[in-house]
Amino acid sequence: MIEAIVKTETKANPTVLLLSVRDLRVHFPSDGRQDGAVRAVDSVSFDLADGEALGIVGETGSGKTSVARALLGLHPPGTTQGSIRLAGQELVGLPEQAWQPIRWQRVALAVQSAGTAFDPVYRVGEQIGEPMRVHLGLPPDEAQGRVEALSHRVGLKPRHLRAYPHQLSGGEKQRAMLAMALSCDPDLLILDEPTSGQDMLARARLVALLRRVRQESGAGLLLISHDLAAVARLTERVAVLYAGKLIEVGPTAEVLERPRHPYTWGLLNAYPNMTTARDLRGIRGGLPDPTDPPSGCRFHPRCTQAVERCRREEPSLKRAGVGERWIACHLGGLQTLLRADGLRKVFAINGGTRPASEEEQVEAVREASLEVLEGEVVALVGETGSGKTTLGRLLVGLLEADGGHVVFEGQDLATASGGERKALRRRIQLVAQDPFDAISPRLTVAEIVREPLDVQKVGAPAEREEKARQALQAVGLSTEPAFLARHAHELSGGQLQRVAIARALVLDPKLLVADEPVSMLDASEQAKLINLLKEIQNARGMGLLLISHDLALVRKVADRIVVMRDGQIVEEGPASRVIAQPRHAYTRSLLQAAPAFVWESEEVGGENIALLTSQL
Amino acid sequence: MGRRGHLGSDLVFGLSVLALFAAIALLAGVMAPYDPHAFSGQSLEQPSPAHPLGTNDAGQDILSELIYGARISLAVAVGAAVGTVALGTLVGGVAGTVGGWLDGLLMRLVDVLMTLPRLPLLILLTAFLGAGLAQTTAVIALLFWPATARVVRAQVQSVRRRGYVRMARNFGGGPGYVLRRHILPQIGPLLVSGLVTAAGRAVAMEAGLAFLGLGDPTAKSWGLMMRFALNLPGLLLTDRWLWWLLPPGLCVTLLILALTFTGMGLEEHLNPRLRRL
Amino acid sequence: MLRQVPRLASYLLTLWVVLTVNFLLPRLLPGDPLAALLDPQNSDYVFDAEVRAALESYYGLDRPLPVQYARYLAGAVSGDLGRSIRLNQPVGKLIRTHLPWTLLLTGTALTLASLLGLLGGTEAAWRRGTWRDRVLVTAGVVAGNAPVYFVGMMLLILFGARLGWLPLAGGRTPFAHYDTLPAAVADVGKHLLLPALTLTLTLVGGKFLLVRNNVVSVLGEDFMLVARAKGLPERRLKWAHALRNALLPFVAHLAAHAGQAITGAVFIETLFNYPGMGRLIFEAVGARDYPVIQGVFLVVSTVVLTANLLADELNTRLDPRLREA
Repeated sequence: MIEAIVKTETKANPTVLLLSVRDLRVHFPSDGRQDGAVRAVDSVSFDLADGEALGIVGETGSGKTSVARALLGLHPPGTTQGSIRLAGQELVGLPEQAWQPIRWQRVALAVQSAGTAFDPVYRVGEQIGEPMRVHLGLPPDEAQGRVEALSHRVGLKPRHLRAYPHQLSGGEKQRAMLAMALSCDPDLLILDEPTSGQDMLARARLVALLRRVRQESGAGLLLISHDLAAVARLTERVAVLYAGKLIEVGPTAEVLERPRHPYTWGLLNAYPNMTTARDLRGIRGGLPDPTDPPSGCRFHPRCTQAVERCRREEPSLKRAGVGERWIACHLGGLQTLLRADGLRKVFAINGGTRPASEEEQVEAVREASLEVLEGEVVALVGETGSGKTTLGRLLVGLLEADGGHVVFEGQDLATASGGERKALRRRIQLVAQDPFDAISPRLTVAEIVREPLDVQKVGAPAEREEKARQALQAVGLSTEPAFLARHAHELSGGQLQRVAIARALVLDPKLLVADEPVSMLDASEQAKLINLLKEIQNARGMGLLLISHDLALVRKVADRIVVMRDGQIVEEGPASRVIAQPRHAYTRSLLQAAPAFVWESEEVGGENIALLTSQL
Repeated sequence: MGRRGHLGSDLVFGLSVLALFAAIALLAGVMAPYDPHAFSGQSLEQPSPAHPLGTNDAGQDILSELIYGARISLAVAVGAAVGTVALGTLVGGVAGTVGGWLDGLLMRLVDVLMTLPRLPLLILLTAFLGAGLAQTTAVIALLFWPATARVVRAQVQSVRRRGYVRMARNFGGGPGYVLRRHILPQIGPLLVSGLVTAAGRAVAMEAGLAFLGLGDPTAKSWGLMMRFALNLPGLLLTDRWLWWLLPPGLCVTLLILALTFTGMGLEEHLNPRLRRL
Repeated sequence: MLRQVPRLASYLLTLWVVLTVNFLLPRLLPGDPLAALLDPQNSDYVFDAEVRAALESYYGLDRPLPVQYARYLAGAVSGDLGRSIRLNQPVGKLIRTHLPWTLLLTGTALTLASLLGLLGGTEAAWRRGTWRDRVLVTAGVVAGNAPVYFVGMMLLILFGARLGWLPLAGGRTPFAHYDTLPAAVADVGKHLLLPALTLTLTLVGGKFLLVRNNVVSVLGEDFMLVARAKGLPERRLKWAHALRNALLPFVAHLAAHAGQAITGAVFIETLFNYPGMGRLIFEAVGARDYPVIQGVFLVVSTVVLTANLLADELNTRLDPRLREA
């Protein structure tokens, strides 16, 4: 989990509004080579209080740099529209002359490429002092003194000031650029990708420096970056930019812990950091063409929960619930696919011939609540007998609960009519532990995979054949007639489990529940199959509930982990947190028991050697 | 200016004027009213229907001289341009491909040649080699090839460093194959626009040499016409310069400009990345 | 100083090549032009015995080649460049009287063309894309490519013949005596005006285009964006930053194209009958005056090479990135 920021004490007055941006648009006209104008920024609005730090996060091409430049009036005339108010003064449409007193003195910019930000023919110290001499009219020696003080603050020595830009290292130039930006003591400091291209240690030092500087100067900060770690440490609020539009705004710690927009969620999942062991997962699809953005919501082609309205209408940034969170999504953010509340299931152990007494009852599941969001992978972990399989069956609707609700896509399973249930069957599918048990030995592969379609009477027989074939391809199996004619006993365990998955996919479900899908396979098959499940899940935008006892395995694919013991859920949370900082003692014991290879030092023949052993 | 698929205005202007001159040169025999060497009239006649531009001091028709002059200019231009590009490509290609001490030596030679002042060297060479169209063409090519060699060498080196050339060698392609399949097509456009630009400079040089009296005295070049015109005492004080001095001067200028604009247009057209700033 | 060694070595090497080419050319070409001068049967035969004796002594054709080379080199270094056939004077003396005029002409023109090119090019680049810029660029191409003698002719006709404002020929009024320095300067200046103007026009086209293109590419650099973001006034952006950076390739260009000015000077001096080196070599060619031709070539090459060297040095001073070894 990314570390949240600690509140800093600044000199600024947070009740005063420093910057107010409304409906900012930056459109670059086409130059004859392409079809349309490049809509770099398309209606962006946000506020910045005096002394506040706001992060603007987005990928390359999202329009972040264009926003920064617009705030200094650096775009060609006529391309910027909307309103930018700096302490009440309107900046859009100002003539070049009028910009001069504002630039650098009120708003300063530190550009992304520090390497090329300096004029190669003048010394660094001269360039840092240049705006002071021009704007503040300082005599050279006074300017020199201030330049030296500034550079000391950022950690530069006098010899750096005397040098030419090409004689400085990348990190030194970064700091020099920061000093230059601070030279006229601006009200607002804009940093465009300050940490890009630097190694991890340099980044950490720079972030520490920026925190110090911010505290001392009290200037407002606009941090534009795709470096989420830097944003986490430096800003109080964050705004996420996608294809020129803001899609989520809120307090930094909250947004990073619990993103509510599908894009933000996908972005965080794709961000490499040391606390997760989960493999990186990109967001399917690609960034939109800035000259021809998608209709309606810009993210809808890649969104797993898009509905018809998303294709037609563009969502506006609206407050989500109470508190300071704003989201641009017709559905109000990430949807909950499946929610279980206080589920309860009791089994009788007396053979069921007569009503059971208290002693003869077993509570397999008690007060279990969990949630699976759109496109999420949730792992339900526990020992044998913890009740996880029962819970899985309850969620899929194979068993009826004795208490509590299961709500799937807003539909309560208990109150659903027969027809509704049948429709639900299509959307939520189960893959069981033992494929030989779950698949009839009499049917051929083709018939097995086609079965759900036959039951639901979907389409014509020829269509069903085609769908079956596609599903088989998706799981990496052959579609040759010879293979399609095989029976269960002619296939290996791994192959058969794939057939089972294909069968589950053929109805195009929204949620796949996999109960110990790989525990009966050997290691190599396990790895391949888990990866396959993950791939399919990502590509199709399905939710996946993975039920397993193998914590080490699910750690590779899960977004969130739910730990179950004796029918109860004892812990749940983001996978990275549960693994790194488990809160419940049981979780800790599970972690300890999980297989781990450790290096131990042993003496062999008078020498100390490192050996690989198991801590089991 | 210069959209992909559309010819730029430079190219349109240049090519049309070039086509005009080429037509004049080819059809000279048909278009010119007289043989330019023939004494078809009195000396220094004023313009008349028989002699639209009058006659020169020897009694030869100026218009015919002008028309035939196109042949000379274009012949020298083409010859010198081909020579320049051929020599330059050879030397530059070898230097860029082989590298090592040979490259160093050749480039040293190129540097020296490029530093020397052109015209005095031209004059020196022509004085010793004698006047004549062939000599003029050869000498112009000898002077202009170093610049082409530099550019070709740079391009060849850059292409050789590219990944796809390395890959081709990986597949077992020899230097000959690489040259044919990858390098030549890549530098092809460069050579074409270089040819045209070199032709423009050759026209200027040839006319200049003729003007100075170093050209072929038997070839009725535009430069020579200007020289004879200026030799006439008091030419500038009468109107005579209008039909004797101005037309050849304009023709030389126009042809050079046509070639220059064509060269610029070609560069922009063939290499869209060099779009005019 | 140690940095200069490779550059000096290059300079000396080129100088040596010039000297050697100068030496070899008349001796190796077909038709044996030197022998022709001394052959009574040949049309180029030199009748004046005194001149013929001087020629024989200077070229030393009866000696073995290496000895000739040694004597030639010694002569070149000490200033003995032979004797003019046509004028029966030492070549060195002729050059001494003619060189200053050429330097005056080319110096004036280069300075003017550079200044105009720098100023005009920067302004045009600042306003790139506007119609003013496009017109200037086209004008630059035309001016740079129109043959220098043609431009000179037109100017001569207009200002000299038609309007009579300026003299038609010469470096100064023939047989003039000057009582005061200002009078001398005025007369020389009047004669200098048209030739210098013509040469300037020819040179300015190329320089303007070069500066404009360089400044345009500098304007696209990141540091220009930062400079603008710093709120610096337009004046400072244009001159202190944009042009200052574009100066570097410009000076390099100056060095490489020093010979261009000489080429132009030859044509102009011929056209305007200006008493410089160009006129000298032109007249020498007509008379097959080989010692003069060779002498002029040698001296002009040396001047160009030296200018090159100085420009290179200036470039290093201007660009801090080149200052380290």
